[in-house]
Amino acid sequence: MASPGEDDKMIMLESTIMLRALIGCILSGLLASIIGVFVVKMKISAIGYCMSHSAFAGAALGVALALDPLLTAFMFASLTALLIGPFAEKARLHADIITGILFPLNMALAFIFMTLSPEIGLKSDIGSILWGSIFAITNSNIVYLVSLCSVSFALIFLFWKELFAIMFNRKMAEADGINTKPLVFFIIFLAGMVITLSLKLVGGLLIFALIFNPAASAFQFSHSMRKIMILSPVIGASSCVGGLYTSLLFDLPVGSCIALISTLIFAISVVISPKRRRGGGFLG
Amino acid sequence: MDRIIELRDVSTIYEGEKKPAIKNIDLSISENEFVYVIGPNACGKTTLLETIIGLLQPSQGEVYVLGCNMRKNGAKIRQKIGYVPQDFLTDPNEPFTALDVVMMGMFGKIGLLRKVNDEHKCKALKIMEKLGIRELANSPIGKLSGGQQQKVMIARALAKEPKILLLDEPFSNLDIKSKQKILRLIHKFHQEKGLTTIIVTHEISQVLMNKDNVRIIIMNEGRIVAEKTIEEFLLSVKEYLWLPQVKMIK
Repeated sequence: MASPGEDDKMIMLESTIMLRALIGCILSGLLASIIGVFVVKMKISAIGYCMSHSAFAGAALGVALALDPLLTAFMFASLTALLIGPFAEKARLHADIITGILFPLNMALAFIFMTLSPEIGLKSDIGSILWGSIFAITNSNIVYLVSLCSVSFALIFLFWKELFAIMFNRKMAEADGINTKPLVFFIIFLAGMVITLSLKLVGGLLIFALIFNPAASAFQFSHSMRKIMILSPVIGASSCVGGLYTSLLFDLPVGSCIALISTLIFAISVVISPKRRRGGGFLG
Repeated sequence: MDRIIELRDVSTIYEGEKKPAIKNIDLSISENEFVYVIGPNACGKTTLLETIIGLLQPSQGEVYVLGCNMRKNGAKIRQKIGYVPQDFLTDPNEPFTALDVVMMGMFGKIGLLRKVNDEHKCKALKIMEKLGIRELANSPIGKLSGGQQQKVMIARALAKEPKILLLDEPFSNLDIKSKQKILRLIHKFHQEKGLTTIIVTHEISQVLMNKDNVRIIIMNEGRIVAEKTIEEFLLSVKEYLWLPQVKMIK
């Protein structure tokens, strides 16, 4: 039986893990759903989907080689961002073709790396990158998330008017003298970074739900891009906190709960959307 | 007069195509000129405009605008060009207002890391007023009619106070009254601000409405086949009966 002192330590440890998970949830939700607005509006959903699976493959390699999965996921996501962005542009390959090739390749690599993983690792580490785990979030993860949040928000704020014009129409933005290429590559790279850092929370197979669903829900409510940019992260963070709570309540994987809650919010948004009542369409 | 646009032996091929959309184009346009480009469908009129503005890179030859090679300085020069694309219609749920879209035209010119201010907003509203769409400023762009969206795109091109104005079928969705009103406005801008203007159109009746000295460029199968003033064109109109636009008038 544990002594009273040990009980206190256990309670403190649990509170620390919970606090870390909560902060991680809020930060991941904010970041992923902000990026989601760009992903949806720039019509690069396939790129985001491909990126999440490449980060997953990278993390699986990290586990197989007993390296930091975050580092290998980062490397895979960066390489994919390079292939989808500048390389595809140089090689004159359409984004659909390159994502179509990379998606099954990344999944194939992920499955191979998973079979190479040691048995114990397969149960814990691979499990956490597959469907997410609140226990996997470390202090350094929180530091990375805070840094990425700060850098992302600062850059989005600085280049807001250019990104705003690109979201409306990239060709017209280019015709108005905006150099769109580096900004589009920046969004692709940022999506890769956000996916990498949120991988431990939501898991590689479900992270895309956190990018796409809050943005898609926010688009149901407003004709103003500025309001959507505020609403999407609010929905994203709420989905994460709600998912975390549901996961603890029913002892279910946190990533799945976040995906379910964000899907539920989307379904409700569709039903109560003022745009739809006025005869609007699906995404905005 | 200074040559403001110059194309030297320019050909442009679309990706995956064997035949160039425009072939061996040599063209000089001077400052303050007003030019109409006419020709049958798919003769290369839009390709010519997109090559001039640098949205399409020529596979052969060089394009110089305002004295600069568009291959090297495209983005910088485009900040001084107002462009209205053909058939620009947006999704009904686009989360942008008409004012947002007009102001976007100025973003390139305002420059990186510089914020949009009230002066820019006033400028945008002023031009919307002139085009008769001031009251639509806060309406979602996708909810406007085709003609209203076309006016928004013209306002977007004019709001940045360009040196060159390129319009690709800018009146296709407008009624006759609006067409005449906007054409008058464009002529006014051309005269007052010395705006070099190129309009691609299939409506020859509008070209012939002009009292000013304008140049007509006639294109066919990717080549410039003739360059005329209105008087010269009318005198030799029998030579151009193959043009659908001329057939319509006849």
